[in-house]
Amino acid sequence: MSIGHALLGLLEGGPRHGYDLKRAYDERFGQDRPLHYGQVYSTLSRLLKNGLVTEAGVEAGDGPERKRYAITDAGVTDVERWLSTPEKPEPYLQNTLYAKVVLALLSGRSATEVLDTQRAAHLTTMRELTRRKADGDLADQLICDFALFHLEADLRWLELTAARVDQLAAEVMR
Amino acid sequence: MKRVVSDLALGVRLAVGGSRKSWARLALQGVGIGLGVALLLFAASLPSVMDARSDREASREIVAEGNGPAPLLAEHQGHAFRSDYVAGHYLNTLRPDAPVPPGIDRLPGDGEIFLSPALAKLLDSPRGELLRPRFPQKVVGTIGQAGLQNPNELQFYAGSANIKEDGNAVHGWGVAKQGGGMNPVLWLLSVVGLVVLLFPVLVFVGVATRLAAAQRDRRLAALRLVGAAASRVRLIASGESLAGALAGLAVGFGIFFAVRPFVDQISINELSAFPSEVMPTPALTLTVIVAVPVLAVVTSLLAMRRTIIEPLGVVRNQKPVHRRVWWRLVPVVVGVALLVSQIGKITQTEKPDQWPVVFGIVLLMLGIPVLLPWLVERVVFLMKGGTPALQLAVRRLQLDSGTAARVVGGVAVVLAGTVTLQMMLAGVEKEVQANEKKQASFSYLSVKPRQSADLSGIAAALGKGKGVTAVHRVDTAWGSLDNGGYVSINIAPCAALTQEAAIPNCTDGKIYAVRESTGQPAAQAGDVVTFRQSGEKWTVPQVEVIDGTSNTGGLFITPAAARGLVPYSAEFLVVLDPAVPDAAEHARNAMAGYSWQVYSYFGGQDDTNEAERVFGVVRRALLAGSLLTLLVAAASLLVVALEQVRERRRPLAVMAASGVPRGTLARSLLWQNALPLAISTAVSLATGIGLGVLVIRVFGAEVAFDWAGIGLITGIVVGLTFAVTALTLPSLRRATGALGLRSE
Amino acid sequence: MSLLRAEGLSKSFGKTHALEDAGITIRAGEVVAVMGPSGSGKSTLLHCLAGILPPDRGTVHYRDHFGSDRELTAMNDGERSELRRTEFGFVFQFGQLVPELTCLENVALPLRLSGMKRKNAERAARDWLARLEVDGVADQRPGETSGGQGQRVAIARALVTGPKVIFADEPTGALDSLNGERVMHLLTTAARETGAAVVLVTHEPRVAAYSDREVVVRDGRSRDVEFAR
Ligand SMILES: Nc1ncnc2c1ncn2[C@@H]1O[C@H](COP(=O)(O)OP(=O)(O)OP(=O)(O)O)[C@@H](O)[C@H]1O
Ligand SMILES: [Mg+2]
Repeated sequence: MSIGHALLGLLEGGPRHGYDLKRAYDERFGQDRPLHYGQVYSTLSRLLKNGLVTEAGVEAGDGPERKRYAITDAGVTDVERWLSTPEKPEPYLQNTLYAKVVLALLSGRSATEVLDTQRAAHLTTMRELTRRKADGDLADQLICDFALFHLEADLRWLELTAARVDQLAAEVMR
Repeated sequence: MKRVVSDLALGVRLAVGGSRKSWARLALQGVGIGLGVALLLFAASLPSVMDARSDREASREIVAEGNGPAPLLAEHQGHAFRSDYVAGHYLNTLRPDAPVPPGIDRLPGDGEIFLSPALAKLLDSPRGELLRPRFPQKVVGTIGQAGLQNPNELQFYAGSANIKEDGNAVHGWGVAKQGGGMNPVLWLLSVVGLVVLLFPVLVFVGVATRLAAAQRDRRLAALRLVGAAASRVRLIASGESLAGALAGLAVGFGIFFAVRPFVDQISINELSAFPSEVMPTPALTLTVIVAVPVLAVVTSLLAMRRTIIEPLGVVRNQKPVHRRVWWRLVPVVVGVALLVSQIGKITQTEKPDQWPVVFGIVLLMLGIPVLLPWLVERVVFLMKGGTPALQLAVRRLQLDSGTAARVVGGVAVVLAGTVTLQMMLAGVEKEVQANEKKQASFSYLSVKPRQSADLSGIAAALGKGKGVTAVHRVDTAWGSLDNGGYVSINIAPCAALTQEAAIPNCTDGKIYAVRESTGQPAAQAGDVVTFRQSGEKWTVPQVEVIDGTSNTGGLFITPAAARGLVPYSAEFLVVLDPAVPDAAEHARNAMAGYSWQVYSYFGGQDDTNEAERVFGVVRRALLAGSLLTLLVAAASLLVVALEQVRERRRPLAVMAASGVPRGTLARSLLWQNALPLAISTAVSLATGIGLGVLVIRVFGAEVAFDWAGIGLITGIVVGLTFAVTALTLPSLRRATGALGLRSE
Repeated sequence: MSLLRAEGLSKSFGKTHALEDAGITIRAGEVVAVMGPSGSGKSTLLHCLAGILPPDRGTVHYRDHFGSDRELTAMNDGERSELRRTEFGFVFQFGQLVPELTCLENVALPLRLSGMKRKNAERAARDWLARLEVDGVADQRPGETSGGQGQRVAIARALVTGPKVIFADEPTGALDSLNGERVMHLLTTAARETGAAVVLVTHEPRVAAYSDREVVVRDGRSRDVEFAR
């Protein structure tokens, strides 16, 4: 999943210190894998270089941890594009998808739309697999079925999340 | 044991269930069985009613023998009044300790009278105006129940001081009851009537316990599938039907006691009874109380055979196994054989051998509901179904024709019974009416004074009566023939004789012999007549045989031919003007002063209307009874139909969704109701007519068909089919809405 | 060009708003999956679309085989009934076969209702049963077949009149996945062969994968989700 997009998404709520960003990220997405400081600063510097964030002032003292970052217009557009582009339907997407939903909610965008876009992409893939299955031999069928079952599981998750999006919003906004 | 009770209790709980639907089902069962129970209770009261009636009759018989001088003189007298008959005693009390007849508390004094309630009512009403002159006495009381045969009896006890002792002494009232012999034909009619009326009740009790059974079968089959043993399922089912039977018993007793107070309002004297006496005998009551639940349980167990044997078939809607026919034919064949064996054995006077007849009728009736399921199944299996509506109905019936056949089985028995009774009634009615008609062509009043009465005074009084055109004196005698027969002898001028008998070209000097009802001439030339009173003998000279009609056969002798004959008594032939209404009553009133001393008989009595009225009442009662039963049967048919709609809600809804017109579905429902009913109507008409013919043959009467009645009943059945179908349409409408598509 | 078009459909049951301003367009010959959470109004949408349930507001237009446009929402009950009988076919989740009739008679029923001779109707029915690989149960009653067989018989019945649209509400809901897929395969293949459009209500993604596109219903509102193929 993309740490850069996640940080950008978190910055949409307002400028933050790098240290704050790490804490916010860990709280929401880093349950099993917290970020290292190094990862945070290298990502931020890449974003800075690409013009997606700017430095929004330095507090007394020195060192990167004293810097505040803010998102630029280009950064907002980038987040927007990321959220509305479905992930390539493949297994183990939940981290990314979950982050997308949460960030959409945090930024006041439609999480349902994110989910619907993704389900459409999933279904398109499933359709292709289904077609291939109908034309192929048994081996093809079995391989396609494997993929289909996994995609179906994802899709069910998408639907479940869609059904609980209001509940999630309430929790995220707390 | 505890298990048994708990299983039964489970059954009862399933029946009562708590839901509105199960309550409705229980109520319907209760009413259905209740109607039957009430009828049975009334039938069970018949013995006590009859007993009490004959007790009272015996208690008012006169005891003529006794010691010492007569304390009381009594003259029994009847007053015909139009088609009613008022009977009573004129009493002359000679001693203060004279015996008092039952029903009154003292003896009437001279010029006093006790009236029965019905007679008092008649005399008070405008209808009784022409009767009043004959009862000028002072009314001093009412005759109580103890002195009456039935509540409608017209009876009186009047005091009259001028009665002379003349073999009319009364030493007491009340004799030992004699075993009265009932007319065999009447007896048979009542036996058939009872069987025919009661048997459907029994069948109906059976049907009522099976109301709404399809769903119950499903439930029990499900119980069976989850592992309940056959015996337990039977117990549970018994519990269910027991609940209905008990409810029915309660309802039945309720109806019985609610209707009982009104039995004295029945306008047919023979049927009316005192409410307090309408009490089922303990033994019969016990029989009803035990038999109804047993019948309920047994029928439901019999009907459950399939559920217990192949529960999966019931749940999966499989085609049931075919019914076998041979044992179903046994009752019909045996019944017909029994009845046929009795043909000709019963005559007007001989008491029939009762059991073959009763069993024959019962078996034939039983044959209908036994045979019907098989017949419906066969017919339905032979049908293919032309239109989709018919096909749907036929297929449905193929799957489960049993429920419908059972319900219409009850209808069929009622129908067959009604048709049989109607035929018997029509046969009797035809004979009675023919007799009445025969008499209606005469218009004279014959007045018979007692021996002691003053004859010339009577003739003068009669001459003053309104509508009287002539008064002839007829001398009469009564003698026996050598061959053991009797002959009545009337001596009068031709003017009088032609009034009494249709004698063509009557000439003085001739003797006419009118044929007896046996068809034989009353007497032939050369017969020797021995007069009863005097013992003298007389040889009959040349006679002319008359085929014409008369009230009685006998010798009609013109005065010129009567020389040498000594008449015993005299009577008057009063010729009436037919144009004057109630001329006979006016003439009778003219003799009111002679109260007990003259007896009159109106030859022109036209009782046809009366007979028609009685038969009309009986027919209406019969019709009402069968209509009631048909209605209950229709109600059960309705429940079955509604249940089927509910059960098949989903396929019906899907069909409607796929565009099957509602009309098609409605027509399939109509077919589904009409097919079994049509079959059962055909069967019951055939059985009813066949049974009617057989029974009429058994007592050798003329076969007559009451086509109007049969047509009416058939029409009602057709109407019921439509009504039941129409009543299921709203629920069909509901089932076929989009709502029906939603799963339960 | 659209075959069936619904606009602004609203339907309430008491306080429940089952549909609110929903719309959908079905083109000839396409398979459209209607998806959405339980209770979102999928079945209600299908019923309104097929003219089984009259909507409170909104219109449904259908272009019949003569090419003329007919407004379902303006027809009376009898006309809609006839339209359903002649132009549409239906497959539901369960309990749709008449339990008293044999499978063959069930399939022949719609043909007979439109006046075909019994013999011809049953011949056509037998062909369709064979095509759906269930000619073995032709003379059995629905109660005596398996769920999957029954569902194929139902599909045969839906297809036998050569309908232009087949409405299927959770047709595989009562089947296991293997049977469900088999049924879906037969349904969509047969529909494609006869050129019938299919409106397929389902919440099983693998079933929806047999469609060409899907429409998502959420809280009574429908959303066309289209992807260029
Ligand atoms: N006849 C009815 N009476 C009352 N409420 C109804 C009726 N029909 C539908 N509803 C309500 O309308 C809403 C939509 O129902 P509908 O059956 O269309 O949902 P669905 O999407 O098909 O659900 P599912 O996936 O569970 O079948 C539900 O809230 C339901 O309770
Ligand atoms: Mg639904």
